[in-house]
Order: sequence, then C-alpha cells, then structure tokens
Amino acid sequence: MIKAILSRLLQAVLVALLVGLLTFAMAWLLPGDVAYRIAAGRYGYDLVDTAAAAKVAAELNLDQSALTGLGWWFFDLIRLDLGASLITGAPVIEAIGRHLGHTLKLSIAAILLSLLIGPPLGILAGLHPGGWLDRSLMLVSTALRALPQFVVGLGLIIIFGLTLKLLPTAGHDHGSHLILPALTLALSLAAVSNRVARDAMVAVSRAPYYAFGRTKGLSEWQVFSRHGLRNVAVPIVTYLGIQFVSLVEGVVVVETLFAWPGIGHALVHAIFGRDVPMIQGAALVMGLMFVALNALVDTLCHLIDPRRRAA
Amino acid sequence: MTPLLTVENATVESATGRIVAPVSLTLQAGRPFTILGETGSGKSLFAQAIMGLLPVGLTASGRVIIDGQVLDLADPASHRPLWGRQVGILPQEPWLALDPTMRVARQVADGHRFIRRLEAAAAMKAAADDLTALGVAGAGRKLPGELSGGMAQRVAFAAARAGGARIIIADEPTKGLDVARRDEVIALLMKEVEAGGAVLTITHDLALARQMGGDFAVMFDGSIVEQGEADMVLSAPSHDYTKQLIAADPENWNERKVPAGKRDDIVLVAEDLAKARGGRLLFSGQGLRLHKGEIVGVTGASGSGKSSLGDILLGLLKPDAGTVARALGVAPVRYQKIYQDPPSAFPGRITIGANVSDLVHLHRLDVGRIAPLMKRLKLAPELLHRLPTEVSGGELQRFALLRVLLLDPVFLFADEPTSRLDLITQQETIELLVELAREQDCAVLIVSHDTALIEKTCDRRIEIGEKGGAEASVA
Repeated sequence: MIKAILSRLLQAVLVALLVGLLTFAMAWLLPGDVAYRIAAGRYGYDLVDTAAAAKVAAELNLDQSALTGLGWWFFDLIRLDLGASLITGAPVIEAIGRHLGHTLKLSIAAILLSLLIGPPLGILAGLHPGGWLDRSLMLVSTALRALPQFVVGLGLIIIFGLTLKLLPTAGHDHGSHLILPALTLALSLAAVSNRVARDAMVAVSRAPYYAFGRTKGLSEWQVFSRHGLRNVAVPIVTYLGIQFVSLVEGVVVVETLFAWPGIGHALVHAIFGRDVPMIQGAALVMGLMFVALNALVDTLCHLIDPRRRAA
Repeated sequence: MTPLLTVENATVESATGRIVAPVSLTLQAGRPFTILGETGSGKSLFAQAIMGLLPVGLTASGRVIIDGQVLDLADPASHRPLWGRQVGILPQEPWLALDPTMRVARQVADGHRFIRRLEAAAAMKAAADDLTALGVAGAGRKLPGELSGGMAQRVAFAAARAGGARIIIADEPTKGLDVARRDEVIALLMKEVEAGGAVLTITHDLALARQMGGDFAVMFDGSIVEQGEADMVLSAPSHDYTKQLIAADPENWNERKVPAGKRDDIVLVAEDLAKARGGRLLFSGQGLRLHKGEIVGVTGASGSGKSSLGDILLGLLKPDAGTVARALGVAPVRYQKIYQDPPSAFPGRITIGANVSDLVHLHRLDVGRIAPLMKRLKLAPELLHRLPTEVSGGELQRFALLRVLLLDPVFLFADEPTSRLDLITQQETIELLVELAREQDCAVLIVSHDTALIEKTCDRRIEIGEKGGAEASVA
C-alpha cells in the first residue's frame, strides 16, 4: 500500500513536469502574436492597437526567451506558486480554486450518474447475453461512443432544453443546471462502462465457480450477490481509472458547451487569450486530478479484491 | 441396504440422435458406485443428465428417484432444489470452482448458512469444523489462489456437501492428478461412503475404479455393457470391451524391456545438471547417459522437474549448472520432442497434410517415406485432408510421431505423451512409439506420472525428486 502511494506521488510529479513542458511548448507554438492576443483579452478586440500590444509586451517581458519563461514557471511551481494571469493579473491559484469547485461538482455528478446507468444495465445484459437488452444496449452504446460529446450535449439541449423546456441549458445558479452537462458526460462514460460490465458479467457467469455456487445449492440471487458482484466489480472499477482520461477531455468540451464555469471552461478561455500561466495551471490541476482519481480507484480495488490485499 | 438414489431409463439425445441409451442404476447408502468409460462414451453426459446440468442442445429422458421424490430428467429445472441439499456435485477442477476473491471458509460456510439456514457465526463455525475434519484447518483464512491443489480439492469437497448433501457425484475427480493426489481424492470420497453417504464416480481411470470398490459399471458407446461388483468385474470381465480395457492398463502390459548390453554408441551425455524454478531447487547433480535405441523412463511427483530435465537435454531450457554433450556430427534437428497435448502441438487452421508437407519441404525429405510410415502408424491417408481438431487425440499424437520420425531422430523426448489419451489408445501409441524408435535406433526419454507404464516399457528408469541425482535401474 505504501509502495502504491509512493508510486502515485512520483507519478504526480512526472505529470506536473510533463504538463508544464507540453502546455508551455504548445502555447508558444500557437500562431498569432502573443502580445496582441493578450492585449485583446485585457482591453477587448476593438481597443487593441500596436501601442497597446507593445505596452503589454514590455510589461510582461514577452521578449525574454521561451526557455527562460519556462524555467521561471518551474521555479515558481516548486514554491507552489502558479504565477499570475497575464490577462487579469490575479494569481492563477485563486482563479483555479474558484473553477475547480465547479469542475469537481460536475465530475463527481457525472461519475455517479454514469455508475448508476452503465454497470447495472451492463450486468443485466451480461446475465442474458444475446437477449434484447444486450443487443439494444450494444446499439445505443456504439452510437453514443461514435458521436462526439458536443453532439450528444447538443442533442440533450435540443430535447430537454428547447423542445420539452424541462431543464436549463446553460449557467450554474441552481442544481437543475447541473443535470444536462452531467448527463452528457455520464452518457459517454456509461456507453463504455456498460460494455465492460457486460463482458465481465458474461465471463463471471461462465466461470466454474459460478456454476459451483449453483450446484452448492445457492439460489440465483445468492450466487450473484456472493460470487458474482465482487468479481464483476473488480474490472469495472479498474476500468473506471482508464475512463478518467475521457472524463478530463469531456470536461473541457462539456463545460464550454454548457457555459459551466469550471476548469475546462477556464482552460479554453486561457488558450484564446494566450494566458500561458493560466493554461499551465489549469492543465496541471486537471493532470493532478487524474492522478488523484486513479489513486482513489486503486484504493477501491484494494478494498474490493482481497487478492490485492494478500499480495 | 438403503437405496439413496435410483436412476431409471436415463437417456440423452441430441438433435442428431441418441447419445446415451437407457441406463438404470441404484446408489446404495455406504457404497461407492463407479462408472468407467473412455472419452466420448457418454459417461459425463449421463452424469450431467441426472444432475440436470446438460449443455444446451441436449435433452434427457427417464427419471431419478431420490428419497422418495421422483424427478423427470426431461425437466432439468426440477433438479435444482436438490443441489447442495441432497446431491452434492464435486467439481472437476477444484481450483477453478472456488471463487478467487473470497476466503475459503466463507465459501464453505455458504452451504451451512443459506441451505441449512444457520446464523452467520454458526455457519462459519461449522465451516471451520468441516475444514478441520478434512485436515486443512489452516486453509479457512486463505484465498483459493494461496491453496495447493490438494487443499483446494478438500475445500471444494467441504463446500459441495456443506448443505447436507449425502449423495456425491464426482465427474473425473482425478483428471490430471499424480498418484499421491489421486489417492487423496479417493480417500476423501471413501470417507463420505463410510459415513453412510453414496458416491457416484465417473472416471476413465481403472486404478481409481479398483481402489473405490463397491458397485461398478462399464460404459461404452452410450450404454452400460457390464455391471456388477467392482472386484468381480475387474478380475473376471465378461464383455469384450471390458477385457480390452483391462488388458490396456499398463499394469497388465507385457514387459518390453531389452536387456542392456555393452554399448558405446552414446547419443547424449549430461553431467551434474541442476535446475531451480520459482526459487525452488528441482534437481541437482543429475547425470544421464543415453545410448542409441535405448528407452529410458523418468518418473517423479508433479512439479518435480521431469519436463524441465527433458527440455534441458533438448537445449530448450538452460540448466543452472552442468553440461549436456551430444554425439558429434549429428544434426541438431535429430533431437526431437513429442508434446503432452497433441492439439496444441499442431497449427489449428491448416490441414495435417499441409503441415506434414511443409516439414518435408523445409528439410528436403523424401515424400515417398510418408505413406509407408503412415501405414505403420495405422493412419489412413484421408486423414491428411483434415484439420487437427477433426481427428482423434490418438490419431493426432501418432501424426506427431510421424512428424518427428521423418527427421530420423537419434533422441526423442516424449513428455507425458499419452496422459491425454484413453487407455486403449495409450497402449497403441506407446507400443508404436517404442517399436519404431527401436527400429530406427533412436533413444527415447519418456516422462510419465504412471509408474506402471514406465516399468513395463522402459529399459531403465530415472527417479526425479527429493533423492536428487539418483539414477536407478529398473532391472
């Protein structure tokens, strides 16, 4: 267990290094004049002229080499200082702190919702492979997986927001605002997790120990709850760790689509404004979130599967 | 004597016809019943039919009477209430039959808790008592992956009967076990019999049937050809098939040893070999000299390193210490191996003929040698057009023999060459192997867990295991 924690910590450090390096490189490689972009972010597009851009460049010392800039960023990171936004001038950490709460709320709601949709349906399908539920789930999952998230989100907006007028489509004032973005994320997560659960259930129900459970005299429900559930849960939870990649990616798209003021939303805005410290900060936090969630998955697997505790 | 279970006119049918002819038998309390048959004889299907466990596509008819209750075999669902309560089914592979993520005491407690309806704590206590009675008290806290094969067998046995079942059905309970483990299983089953239960064992193992005693039936081609007391039938069989079967038991083979003369035509010399696997020393100081045309047997418990020794001699595995020297001027390809499981030694998607002709092309062999050799091996020419899955295990193993013999081997390592084959097929295969090897003056090293087979077939024997480098002679 201690070894697992240490390796996750090391992973977190590596993620910080890589994310810092990659986001920095990508931000500098973007086309367009940085000073103009930042000035536009600060004063609005209509008020930007060469003088304003020059002023920004001088103030932010944009003439320094890229490597020097990156070096300063890492140096500050060691002191846990993410720097200040080039546009607002406010410390990045404050902005991220504000956005992170929203993103966490959205992510947790999405994960919980996907767990309520995906695995139970998948397990039901897996208990009767080839049945109508299995086949229709296959169709729906494939379709959902094939569609990009913004299309799924738009579809939900059109159905629930514009046609049925049941749910708000943007904003974050009260709980109902959470439903559509969380559902968009949850559907794309569940589209895969139900297949994982289905395959796991099929494998488990064909395992000799499942048959032995029956011939020991246990009822179908007893076999499932004693010998099925735990064995199915292990691959599902393990796979959840892999799914967080698509969650992190989905957060960016979905937050932008639903104007959800989370970290993904902030990241997109920072990229438009060439706000490099903000880009780095947001990407770093998302990377670390990924590591933390995977650590959580490890812990869960540990609790579910006694073989890991024994090892 | 009280009948615990009576089967009347049980049949099994598939879409294409009858697989098991009407079979009737009675299990008595305190008396084992053993059904002996070969692969494809229908014995396992018969057992599955009376348990209500037939695979999809097969239907059964007839009836089973247990404890006054009459069950229709055509309605498998009606059997389920009996599982665990009256009939316990001993799984074929105990290791796989235990839930890998649950501590074993809880798996045994399942029966006590859900079928006998004990409180959770009382059920755990009962499970612990069961395990203690079977001599595996310490196993309760373990996970199946941490158990040895023998422990898993006992745990599965305890779990199968925890619900109070007094009739145990065991389908091939000794498949793939070495002699020591097999005796353990037999002792376990006999314990149940002595306690007044009934045990129905389905097996292809003559020795198991002999040791169990009690009632005995021989199944051939879907019907019971002979039935009676085990001792009587085995000592004085009346049906031809039974006679053939008993004659094919290695115990009853004619000795085909050739007295070792003075020989100097050595094909292989190994000295001071040592090998460890998984941190455990398998053998050390193992030496071996093999002469042309010599048949040498290797015996030892499972996991003792029999196969590793052969692989080292072939150069497929590196020894930790020691040397292997081959005769000078002999092509490496003339040192060959016969594998245990024929289907996995053949590419599955090309015909056997294509496989053989690839070999002929690769080594520029004489095509004309194939036909006579196939005749010697009793292989019909049309078999060449089939896939490995479309011929019997015995035929495929003879094709494996054909493949290596075409290369004029001087040394052949046969690793449990017949352990997946039935008795009669085993005898045929071994006879051919030995005969042809002697003709071609090829040295053979046969690994087998069956001591009788080695004793009857080999000129001398090497015992691998605790004694280390002992090279014992049979004679």
